[in-house]
Amino acid sequence: MFGGLKERLQAARNRLSSSIGAVVATPVAEPVVPHLPPAAGTTEPEKTAAPGFVEKVKVLVLERELIVSDKNIAEALSELEMTLLESDVALPVTDAIIISVRKNLVGRHRKIGESVDAMVVSALKSALLEVLGKGFDLKEYINTHPRPVKILFTGVNGTGKTTSVAKIGSYLHKQGFSVVIGAGDTYRAGAIEQIAVHAERIGIKVIQHQEGADPSAVLFDTVQYAISHKIDVVLADTAGRFHTKSNLMNQLDKIKRVMKPDLVIYVDEAVAGNDAVIRAAEFDRTVGADAIVLTKADMDSRGGAAISIAHTIGKPLMFLGVGQSYDDIIPFDPAGVVDELLDGA
Amino acid sequence: MLDNLSSSLKDALKKLAGKTVVDRAAVDELVKDLQRALISADVNVKLVMELSKAVRTRSLDEQLPKGTNVREHVLRIVYQELVRLVWASTEVRLEPQTILMAGLQGSGKTTTTAKLARYFQKKGMKVAVICADTFRPGAYDQLNTLCTKIHVPCFGNPAEKDALKITREGLVALKDHELIIVDTQGRHALEADLIQEIIDLNIITKATHRWLVIDAALGQQASEQAKRFHEAIGIDGVIITKMDGTAKGGGAMSAVAETKSGIAFIGAGETIDDLERFDADGFISRMLGMGDLKALYEKATEAINAEDVDMNAMMKGKFTLRDMYKQLEALNKMGPLKQIMGMLPLGNMELPDGVYDVTSTKMLRYRIIMDSMTPKELDEPTLINSSRMSRIAHGSGAKPDEVRELLKYFKTMQRTLKGLRGAGAGGGKFNMQRLMKRFSGQQ
Repeated sequence: MFGGLKERLQAARNRLSSSIGAVVATPVAEPVVPHLPPAAGTTEPEKTAAPGFVEKVKVLVLERELIVSDKNIAEALSELEMTLLESDVALPVTDAIIISVRKNLVGRHRKIGESVDAMVVSALKSALLEVLGKGFDLKEYINTHPRPVKILFTGVNGTGKTTSVAKIGSYLHKQGFSVVIGAGDTYRAGAIEQIAVHAERIGIKVIQHQEGADPSAVLFDTVQYAISHKIDVVLADTAGRFHTKSNLMNQLDKIKRVMKPDLVIYVDEAVAGNDAVIRAAEFDRTVGADAIVLTKADMDSRGGAAISIAHTIGKPLMFLGVGQSYDDIIPFDPAGVVDELLDGA
Repeated sequence: MLDNLSSSLKDALKKLAGKTVVDRAAVDELVKDLQRALISADVNVKLVMELSKAVRTRSLDEQLPKGTNVREHVLRIVYQELVRLVWASTEVRLEPQTILMAGLQGSGKTTTTAKLARYFQKKGMKVAVICADTFRPGAYDQLNTLCTKIHVPCFGNPAEKDALKITREGLVALKDHELIIVDTQGRHALEADLIQEIIDLNIITKATHRWLVIDAALGQQASEQAKRFHEAIGIDGVIITKMDGTAKGGGAMSAVAETKSGIAFIGAGETIDDLERFDADGFISRMLGMGDLKALYEKATEAINAEDVDMNAMMKGKFTLRDMYKQLEALNKMGPLKQIMGMLPLGNMELPDGVYDVTSTKMLRYRIIMDSMTPKELDEPTLINSSRMSRIAHGSGAKPDEVRELLKYFKTMQRTLKGLRGAGAGGGKFNMQRLMKRFSGQQ
């Protein structure tokens, strides 16, 4: 899924390792031979042959440890920065990650024999984990909260709210929960038909009004239906809206007042660029968001948007949408993803 | 629209303002700011690197043309390089043709198909659409609903699963229409069978144009996706959608560079008329804060008659409630005020937020209130005292407070226009316009 990002991170990691690894041969206190990694390709340790073998050994023997300096890793870090930017990690978030990695590495004393690789991996890992936060276990949440659990889906146009509602509906249905969907997108032509067809296929009841109806009313009815039929989960679809349209955001506010959702899920797409950060922050500010669903992750192997959004609003990623069928949704597990990203090679 | 990008670019350029000699350090700094600005606008990182390298070399190597200062010189280079990046505007001819829509899921193909149908219909063409999206539930309903509203025939069959069959039948059924738009299912470049489907669709429709619909928020992925679509069917135009959000469309820019095509249209709004022609010069100019009079002009001539709004009279000085009435009427046809203002050459000027703070429903209220005013009051708004105010409120079914609010809005508008005029006379803010002229002369 995040294959592309993984590949790039591996490269960046090797680069960092070799930059630091080269320090072994070039003690920090040797200004005569400035360590200049070539612009492209790998760092070549042969460059450091200059100080002479005897001298090198002397320093190593006397000091027994080395300090990683800013200079050693500057170039590797700027390459990591490019890597992240190319993977759609938004600019401010990239800055944050770079700062975290740098802080983690610079000034660290490295004992002879300690693996360079392990050091780099742990720095990158903690930076990424810090950004991605904890995951969100929906099943656990539903089990520990009074029924019906009301879940409201929000997001801008065309990110895949309706499809995600259907997929999550199917997922919960398979987990043995009873589910009802509220067709709260009464604006877009064909939206009600879309969710109705989805629901019919997965065998879930949909509460719908006609096109142009007040979404608050639809969703209120859905909640009432769930209460009287003892349904476990209410999934509330809404029309896509831009965070810049204040009247539509007010409508969302009204929906929140009327149906009192337990969870507000913000849906965005993995292919979004820097704007993902802006709109996520705006949605979080105006209507709030408890968790994130990231769609179209199969389109993009880089996964930068996941990192950007999670970092910006500090809310957990709950699901990833990875394809066209109902089963193409996977619960997001940050530790697992980070391990996978930095694993191997 | 492109607010953030232009403000960071403006900051970068400001740093060069007072300089008379091209200063290496200052150029380096500008290039760095430019890189950051473009990357945060989602322009492809590699493209940004190429562009900034070119700007840097040219800024340092090229001789400063006589009569320009460093800032103008560098700005000109930045502008030219950016224009080169978005290539040329795609030509849209009003002749019989078939247009095939392609794009990722959720990029807005169906909405754009309807908007395009509306656009060509308004130009007097006989338009029809085919819904070849057989996958997404409700796709046909959506397109059909939109098309029924504008009385454009929509061919499709929600029960049929074969997109090629529908399209073949559709082409036969709609053969007496001049322009046929084929809406397709969303797909991405990694889905081999769907890519094959669109290749087949391209063959059987013999499409005149194959337009790629790109969400303005699309990030670094844009280049890659555009490349694959281009390899498959040869994209010859790009439509950017959702430009009414905060996304800056840099991804679409990369897609254009990748396909060596141009941006045909920009979609910016939820209603069927929210589609405008793209003009590369205008797009970049707006990004650099130089205004885009041409697009405004195009839009204005289409929506209103010349006598409706006398821009010149307005800019010259006398601005009465009557003018505002006409203006509101015209604006209603032209789109939100902020969009219009974005097209005016206001340079670095910031307009007070209050000016934009009028939604279309409010505009309608305002017009109703103004309908209850006497001609004298419309010409001389200062006449309106509290007793007149309550009469107007009574007549229009509004509250006196609303009348007061309207007058307050009028005053803000008046002040803003006065400010514009002052700036024009001083020559400061409109320098940009002169600069623009120079660009076109010297290129």
